Amino acid sequence: MDFTFMVVLVIALALFFDFTNGFHDTANAMATPIATGAIKPKTAVGIAAVLNLVGAFLSTEVAKTISGGIIKEGHGGISITPELIFAGLLGAVLWNLITWLRGLPSSSSHALFGGLIGAVIVGTWGFSAVNFSVVLSKVILPAILAPAIAGGVAYLCTRLAYAMTRRTHPDSGDKLVQKRGGFRYGQVFSSSLVALAHGTNDAQKTMGVITLVLISAGAQHAGTGPQLWVIGACALAIAGGTYAGGWRIIRTLGSGLTDVKPAQGFAAETSTAAAILASSHLGFALSTTHVASGSVVGSGLGRTGSTVRWGAIGKISLGWLFTLPASAVVGGLAALLSSKEHGLGTVGLIIGAVLGLAAIIFIFVVSQRDVVDHSNAISEVDIVGGAVRIPSRKERERLAAKARAMEKAATKAAAKEGQR
Amino acid sequence: MIDWLAFLAVAVATLVGAVVVVGLYSLGVRLYAVSIDGNVPATRAAKFSAYACFAACALTVLYGIYLIIPAFHH
Repeated sequence: MDFTFMVVLVIALALFFDFTNGFHDTANAMATPIATGAIKPKTAVGIAAVLNLVGAFLSTEVAKTISGGIIKEGHGGISITPELIFAGLLGAVLWNLITWLRGLPSSSSHALFGGLIGAVIVGTWGFSAVNFSVVLSKVILPAILAPAIAGGVAYLCTRLAYAMTRRTHPDSGDKLVQKRGGFRYGQVFSSSLVALAHGTNDAQKTMGVITLVLISAGAQHAGTGPQLWVIGACALAIAGGTYAGGWRIIRTLGSGLTDVKPAQGFAAETSTAAAILASSHLGFALSTTHVASGSVVGSGLGRTGSTVRWGAIGKISLGWLFTLPASAVVGGLAALLSSKEHGLGTVGLIIGAVLGLAAIIFIFVVSQRDVVDHSNAISEVDIVGGAVRIPSRKERERLAAKARAMEKAATKAAAKEGQR
Repeated sequence: MIDWLAFLAVAVATLVGAVVVVGLYSLGVRLYAVSIDGNVPATRAAKFSAYACFAACALTVLYGIYLIIPAFHH
């Protein structure tokens, strides 16, 4: 009785995590087409929700990575309990909500892994239960490499898109009307593709956790994939979160978006979707936020005359680095509280659950009371977009004029030098 | 232990997929721009080619999604 209650509690918390994941990430996919006016906000959020739902059913490779590999489960390995997974999830949910409230850039995926790893290390009182080589090869390395890959590809694609659509008069070399309006409609599709990719990667993480719970409770054999009802429940939770959170964010979004032009946005989103889909297929559980951010920076660099604000990128990266250890600490504390040998056992678990619930309610109340402004409503990816400075046309002309003047002065000086 | 080949596969798949899709779509946008210039005799051919590019782009995306769905490859 007590045992099954625990399993139900963990599944409920996991689905809540999935929900927060959905509303954390809607704007990543849909903010740009809404800002350029290609789709109406309500339609955009609806499309994103449906595609997340579909994406969740497409591939379950990422779910298998989480349920069978990172933590040594089942016979022979060290058995982990639903209590530990509960503690890990608590860490992930709290970190996710705190960062969302403060508008800090963070990754739901890293919060989840951090929470689970922290809970397992504390709960089993040792490092042997965590498969660190799998963590390194399937979580940490993809977290670093995937944004870099997506950024590089986005850079090339932006260059390609602008080069192919640049129209100049064949004789005079003057610029013709560029007519790049087609990219605005293209963005409807590229954003949809990002939403679909989000479903194939992020919804899988919760599936993996629930499957892990079922395995640890003995309701499912180790090494098997997620069951159909698990897939369905997770898909619905992330779609619901996408719809609910997206609506809330977009209502307050206004015109706070960074200057992303349709052609650039199309290139960035296509690169993001391609990188996430390819990684999902190989079971890499990466952060969709990080990949989308990498693409936005890459595509910004691909535009003429842009410069990078390395300081801004450094700040964002620092936030990324903190996520995993911070949620590991929260997950570890929750696990310590509920540990039978070192903590308070079941009483500790109840205390942890009540504290967690109180914190969630507190965060919700604060978020309602706060005026939702750009600092917490705007998508993290758009904040990253601010890291690339693209001069306006006027500034570019001024820079070019300055360069010409400098050149003239240099030739004059050279000529003078020659006269002497 | 670390499967570098898998990372290479992700990088190549991302590059090829994105470049093909963006390239085709850009070509379509370019051709469509030519087709609405008006004073060129090749207007209709350009319009047709533009639509062909958009269609090819859509098919590429669908093929990519087909590739990653395990249910189709049993």
